[in-house]
Amino acid sequence: MIGENFIRRMEEIVGKEYVRHSHADRELYSYDASLVNGIPGLIVFPGTTEELAEVQRAAHAAKIPSVARGFATNLSGGVITRDGGLVVALARFNKILSINPESRYAVVQTGVTNLEVQEAVAPLGMFFPPDPASQKVATIGGTVGENSGGPRCLKYGVTSNHILGMKMVMANGEIVDIAGPSFDPPGYDLRGLVVGSEGCLGMVTEVTVKITPKTESVITMLAIYDEVPHAANSVSAIVRAGILPLTLEMMDNTIIKAVEKGGPCGYPQDAAAVLIIEVEGMVTGLKEQADKIVEICMATKCREVRVAKNQAERDLLWKGRRGAFGAICNLSPNYLVNDGCVLRTLLPEALERVVAISKKYGCPVGNVFHAGDGNLHPLLMFDSRNPKELEQVHKAGVEIMELCAELGGTISGEHGVGHEKQDAMHFIFSGNDLNTQQAVKLALDPGNVLNPNKIIPLPAAGKDKLPLTEPTILKRLGGAKAAGVAEAIASIKEARSAKKPLRVVGGGTFNGIGNRLAASVVPLATDKMTEFIEYDSDNQFITAGAGVTLAALQEKLASHNQWLPVRPPYFTTESTTGSIVALAAAGPERQAYGAPRDMLLGLQYIDSSGNMVTTGGKVMKNVAGYDMTRLLTGSLGSLGCITEATWKVSTKPECCHMVGATGSLSNCNAAALKIIISNLLPVSVVIVPQGADWKLLVGFEGLEMVVPSQIERCSAMMVLAGLKPAGETSYPLLTGGHGDLFTGIWQQPTVLQADVVIARVVELYEGLAKIAQPDNLLLDVACGRVHAGFTKLSAAQWKEIDTLASRCQGHACLVKAPDTFRNEVDLYGSPRREWKLSHLIKQALDPERMFAPGILPGRV
Amino acid sequence: MTVLENYDAIAKCNKCGFCHVACPIFRSTGHESGVARGRLAMLRGIIEKRIEWNEELEDPLFTCLGCEACTTNCFGAVPTAELVLAARGEYYDKVGKKPAHRLLFEHLLPYPKRLHLAARAAAYGKNSGASKLANALGLLRIFGRDLPKAEGIVDKLPTSSFRGTLKPGTYPGKGEKLKIGYFVGCGIDVIQIEAGKATFAALQERGKSVTVINNCCCGLPPYSYGDIENAKKLAKKNLETFEGLDVDVIVTDCASCAAFLKKYPKVFKDDPYYERAKRCLPKVRDVVEFLYADQPVGATGQAPVGTYHDPHGAAATAQKVSSDKKVIVTYHDPCHAVRGQKIRNEPREILKKIPGVEYKEMAEADWCCGGAGSYALTHYELSQKVLDRKMDNVKKTNADLLVTSCPGCMIQLAFGIKRHGLKTRVVHISEMINYMETKK
Ligand SMILES: Cc1cc2nc3c(=O)[nH]c(=O)nc-3n(C[C@H](O)[C@H](O)[C@H](O)COP(=O)(O)OP(=O)(O)OC[C@H]3O[C@@H](n4cnc5c(N)ncnc54)[C@H](O)[C@@H]3O)c2cc1C
Ligand code: SF4
Ligand code: SF4
Repeated sequence: MIGENFIRRMEEIVGKEYVRHSHADRELYSYDASLVNGIPGLIVFPGTTEELAEVQRAAHAAKIPSVARGFATNLSGGVITRDGGLVVALARFNKILSINPESRYAVVQTGVTNLEVQEAVAPLGMFFPPDPASQKVATIGGTVGENSGGPRCLKYGVTSNHILGMKMVMANGEIVDIAGPSFDPPGYDLRGLVVGSEGCLGMVTEVTVKITPKTESVITMLAIYDEVPHAANSVSAIVRAGILPLTLEMMDNTIIKAVEKGGPCGYPQDAAAVLIIEVEGMVTGLKEQADKIVEICMATKCREVRVAKNQAERDLLWKGRRGAFGAICNLSPNYLVNDGCVLRTLLPEALERVVAISKKYGCPVGNVFHAGDGNLHPLLMFDSRNPKELEQVHKAGVEIMELCAELGGTISGEHGVGHEKQDAMHFIFSGNDLNTQQAVKLALDPGNVLNPNKIIPLPAAGKDKLPLTEPTILKRLGGAKAAGVAEAIASIKEARSAKKPLRVVGGGTFNGIGNRLAASVVPLATDKMTEFIEYDSDNQFITAGAGVTLAALQEKLASHNQWLPVRPPYFTTESTTGSIVALAAAGPERQAYGAPRDMLLGLQYIDSSGNMVTTGGKVMKNVAGYDMTRLLTGSLGSLGCITEATWKVSTKPECCHMVGATGSLSNCNAAALKIIISNLLPVSVVIVPQGADWKLLVGFEGLEMVVPSQIERCSAMMVLAGLKPAGETSYPLLTGGHGDLFTGIWQQPTVLQADVVIARVVELYEGLAKIAQPDNLLLDVACGRVHAGFTKLSAAQWKEIDTLASRCQGHACLVKAPDTFRNEVDLYGSPRREWKLSHLIKQALDPERMFAPGILPGRV
Repeated sequence: MTVLENYDAIAKCNKCGFCHVACPIFRSTGHESGVARGRLAMLRGIIEKRIEWNEELEDPLFTCLGCEACTTNCFGAVPTAELVLAARGEYYDKVGKKPAHRLLFEHLLPYPKRLHLAARAAAYGKNSGASKLANALGLLRIFGRDLPKAEGIVDKLPTSSFRGTLKPGTYPGKGEKLKIGYFVGCGIDVIQIEAGKATFAALQERGKSVTVINNCCCGLPPYSYGDIENAKKLAKKNLETFEGLDVDVIVTDCASCAAFLKKYPKVFKDDPYYERAKRCLPKVRDVVEFLYADQPVGATGQAPVGTYHDPHGAAATAQKVSSDKKVIVTYHDPCHAVRGQKIRNEPREILKKIPGVEYKEMAEADWCCGGAGSYALTHYELSQKVLDRKMDNVKKTNADLLVTSCPGCMIQLAFGIKRHGLKTRVVHISEMINYMETKK
C-alpha cells in the first residue's frame, strides 16, 4: 500500500533519518504490550506539530491508515496497524513546555512520560493525579489516548478528569487547539471526547494538564487477609462507611509470590490477599481515619494491618504493586490481562467466577487490581509459543468480559478496546449505540484513516452500519421503558415527520439559554421523566430520569447520608437534573468536586430518529468506546433528548464553613492564589465586592474534626496577606454559601460567565470594569471564573469583553441576554476553529437539525 | 549459546515496556531498536523465522551499551545485555565480522607490548598534530564511520604506558602481611596512568608487597562484541599468569576488568578451564571493595531497591562534612560496578569520610555515561547523546570533582566535561584516597 513515492515524501517532510521501513524496523513496530500484532508499512518520527500535520496530510491524501504511537505499553492493540499502514512514533515530542503552578496547569508534549510530568511538578508541591502502574513509561499521549487510570484514581478520577485541553492534528492534517487552561469552553466537550479515543479522532501533540496541590500527609497501610472474599468485603465496607481513601488496591497470593520472587517488597507470601490502602489529607484527623479503616478491616476478618513506617517502606510496597504485571514473567512467559469493571459489592462473586473460568480453560490466574473502583485485572498466564494455550487464553478472556457485562459492569475500565475487545463491545452496547459512536468517529475522520477499524465492531461485509440489535449480555434498567420516555419518543417521531424542530425543556429556568434558535421549535417536555430508576448507595450511584429535579435527587440521596456535590448557579428548586447535564452547570466548588462531566457515569437519550442511545454505564471506570457521556454533557440539548442520567454520588460532608476577610482587591487576590495552591484543600475560593472594599470568602467542607484546623490556617494566610478577618459562618450543604449572590446576578437582564486562567481572574475583572462596570459580581478565583450581571450591555461592549477573555487565555459567554441582543450576536463570542468540530458532530448525529437548531456556538 | 538456545530467556519478555525508562539508548533515539524489548523482539523474530540474519540487525545488536539498566527495571530480570551479546557472536558467523574487530581483538589486545606500541604511535600522531601515522596504523579509525569525530575523545594520549614506567614485578609495600597483585587494565595502562599510579600507591600503603601483574587485556572487549573465542584466549592467558603469582588478592582499579575477571567461571562454562577460573575467583577484588573493606568501619552496603526514577523515591540528598574548605564531590557509578558487581554504597561511604569533602549525589548517578568500552568509538553520535544527559546531571550538582572507578568512564566523562565547558575535574577514586592520605 505504501509506495516509494510516499516514502520519499515522508523523508522530505521529516528527514531521512526519521523514516524507517526495513524489515527489522517494521517487526519492531508490530507489537505493543497486548497480544495483538500487525506489521506496519512504514514508521515516521516527526519532530514538530507542523511536521506531523504535513505527514498526516500526505497520508490522508494517499488514503494510508496511520496510528499515533507513544511507548506502546497499551494492553489492547491500540498502536497496531493491520493494514500495513503508517506508524507515527511520537517519541520526539518529549518536552515539557510550561508549568504554571499559580494557575494549576502545565503544558506538555505528548511523548513526555507520566512520571516525567510528576517529577517536573513535584518540586512545586503539585502532582498530576493519573498514575497508571506503567507511569514510568506511559506517555502523556498514550495516557490521554486510553484515558488511563491508576491507584489514585479512586479519589481523584481518571485521566479525563485532569485534562484541560490539547493541540491536535486531525485526520486531514489540520491543526486544532481544543479547549485550554480555562475551564469549560463553549461547544461540545471535545477534550472529553478525545480523551480515551485511542488515537482514532486525532493525533495529539500537546496537552494542557491540570495539576493539583499535594496534600499535607499520607498514611500507607497493608491489610493482610487469609481469604480473598474478606479482602473484597473490607473494600466495600470502607467505602460504605463514607471514607474515600486515596487508594484501595488488591493483590492475591499468586501475584504476591510473583512479585516477591522478583525482589522482596514486604508482602507476606502466605497471605491469600493484601490490600494497599492509603489515606491522605490534612495531618489533623488523618490518623483517626486510618484507625477507622483498620477497625473496619479487622471487623471484616483481616489478619493484620501493617502501617508503612517510612517513605522507604511505602516505596517498596508501591514498587511491588507497580511491577506486578511485569512480575508475572517470573511465573509464566506471557499473560493476558482483562480490565473489566464491576460494582464493588460484586467483587467477591466476580473473583470467584474468574477463578472458575481460569480453571475451565487451564490458564492460571493472578489478580492485582483497583479494588476500590471495582476494576478487575485478572492476569491469565500462558506461553505465547504454544498456539493451543493462546487460543484457550483468548477464550477465557472473552468469558471474563462476558462475566463483567453480566454483572452489570463494563468490558474495559482503563486499558481500552483497540482490537482486543472490539467484538465484546456488543456485550454492553446496542447496534444503535455503536453506530452512533462510529458516526462521531467518521464526523471527524470521514476518510476513516486514523487508526481505522478499531473500537467499534466492524459491520458485515458490504454493510456500512451494524444492525440495530440490543446488547447481547448487559441488561439495563430504564431506557425506553422508563417513565415519560415512550411519550418523548413518540413526540420526536412525530416532529420528525412533520419536519418541526424541537427544544427539550426541563424546569423552565433555562429556556433562554444558548443562542437564539434558528427556527421556531416545539417544546419537548421531560417533566414526566421523574423516575428514580436505580439507587445503590453502597456502590455510590443513582440513576434518575431527566425530569427529576436536583432538589428531589438530593432529598433521595439524603436518606443515605449522600449527596450530589454540585451547586449549579442560578438553579431553582424547579431545575431538573437533566438540565445540569445539558448545561454542564457547576458552581464555585467545581475545582474541588468537579463538574457534571466528572460525576456522570452514563446517560440514555433519544436521538433524532427516535431511537434510544446509551452511553457509559454505572461502574466507576469505563473506557469502552468513545466517551459519549462527556460529549452529551453540556450539549445544550442539541444532540438528543436526555432521558436519564447515572450519577456518581458522595457521602455528605459533616460540616460546611466559610471564612471571610476584607481588604483591597489585590490583597484578596494574593491571598486567594496562595490558598488555592496550598495544601489546605478549600472547596471554594471567591472574591466579592464589599462596599468600596473586597471580601475574600473561602469555603471548607468535610469532617468536623478537620475543618476547624483548615479554617485556622486559612485565616492566618489571609491576615498575612494584609486582610482584615471578617468572621466565619456555616452554610447549608445543598444551596452553598453564595446562593444570594447568584440570585442577585440572575436578576439582571444580561449575565456573563467568563473563564480564564486562575491567576488572571482579577486582570479580567479590571479589564471588564473598564469596558462595562458589572452591577453584580462574583469572582470565582479557584475556578478562574467571573460571574457578572449587567443592567445594560451593548453588542460593542460584548465584543470587547470577548476579546479581553481571549487575551486572558479564556473565553466568555452570556448565559442570559435580552431577546433583542440575542438576535444580533453570538452569545459565545467570536468563532473559534474548534467549533467546526462540534458542528461536524452535530451534523452527523442530528443531520436534520431536529434538536435546538442554532443554539450552539457559531449559531449552528 | 546460540540465539535459539536462549529461547526461553528471550520469551520471558512479555513486552511490558518497563525497560524503556532506563535504557540510555532508547532515551536518546526514541527508537524501539534501542531498547531491551525491541532487541529481544528481534531475537525472537530470528528464532521464529520472521527476521533474517543480515545487516538490519546491526542496530538492535550493536547499539546496546551492555549497561544492564533494563534488567534492573525488568521484573523478570531478563538479561538482555547477555542475550544480545551472545547473539553478536552468531552475527559475526552469519553476517560477518569487520576487519577492524579482527585487528583489535586478534592482533592487538592479546599482546600488551603491541598495544603499547600502537598506542604510542597513535599518541605520537595526536600530540604532534600529525595524525597520519595513527591513521595509517588504523588504531583510531578502525571502527567505522563515527571514528574521525571520536578522535577528540582521548584528548592527549600519554607517550608512555603505566607499565612502561613501572615494570611488571613485585615491589615492597608498607603493610604488614597482605601480598597484593595489581591487575593493570588496558585503560589504566595506556591512558589513565595517573589513576594507576594512585592505585599503586594506595596498594603500597596497605600491602606487604604489591605485584604489578604482567597481564593482558581481561577479554571484555571481544566478549562484548560476541567474540567469545578471542575473549577466552585472553582469559586463558591471564589465568595462566595468575597461577604463577604468589599473591593473596588480585586488585584492579578498572570496574570493567573486575566485573569481567569475576565472570571468568561463567565464560568457561563447559570448558576445561572452568575449575581453574573458579579457583582464581575468590582473590579478585575491585579496588573500591578492597579500599572499603580496609576502612576502619565498614559493613558491606546493600544496594537500595528502586533507585531508578522511583516516583516516590526520596530526593537527592547533600551530605555535608564539616570542614572549612569544602570540595564538592559527586560519584558516577560505572555500570560494571553498580550492576556488574552490585557495588553501590561503598564508594559513597568512602567519599563521605574524606575530610573536606561535601558529597552531593547526582540524579541518575547509575546511568551509563555512554562510554561502554569502545562504544564511544564505534557509535560516536549515540554515545554523545547519552553523555549529554549525564553532563546535565553533573552540572546540577556543581561538583568540583566527579569521581568514578573505571578508566573507560573517566575518558568518556572527561570528554563530556570538556565539550560542555564545565570546571569539574574527573578523578579516579584511588586518587581521592591518595588525596586523603596526603591530608592525614
Ligand atoms: C505493566 C503494565 C501496567 C499497566 N498499568 C496500567 C494502569 O494501572 N492503568 C492504566 O490505565 N493502564 C495501564 N497500563 C496500560 C498502558 O500503560 C496505558 O494505557 C498507557 O497510558 C499507554 O501509554 P503509551 O505511551 O504506552 O501509549 P501507547 O500504547 O503508545 O498508545 C495507547 C493509545 O493511545 C494512542 N495514542 C498515543 N499517543 C497518542 C497521541 N499523541 N495522540 C493520540 N493518540 C495517541 C495510541 O494510538 C493508542 O491507541 C499498563 C500497561 C502495562 C504494560
Ligand atoms: S522490562 Fe523486561 S519484560 Fe518488560 S519489555 Fe523490557 S525486557 Fe521485556
Ligand atoms: S543493556 Fe543498557 S543499552 Fe542495552 S538494552 Fe539494556 S538498558 Fe539499553
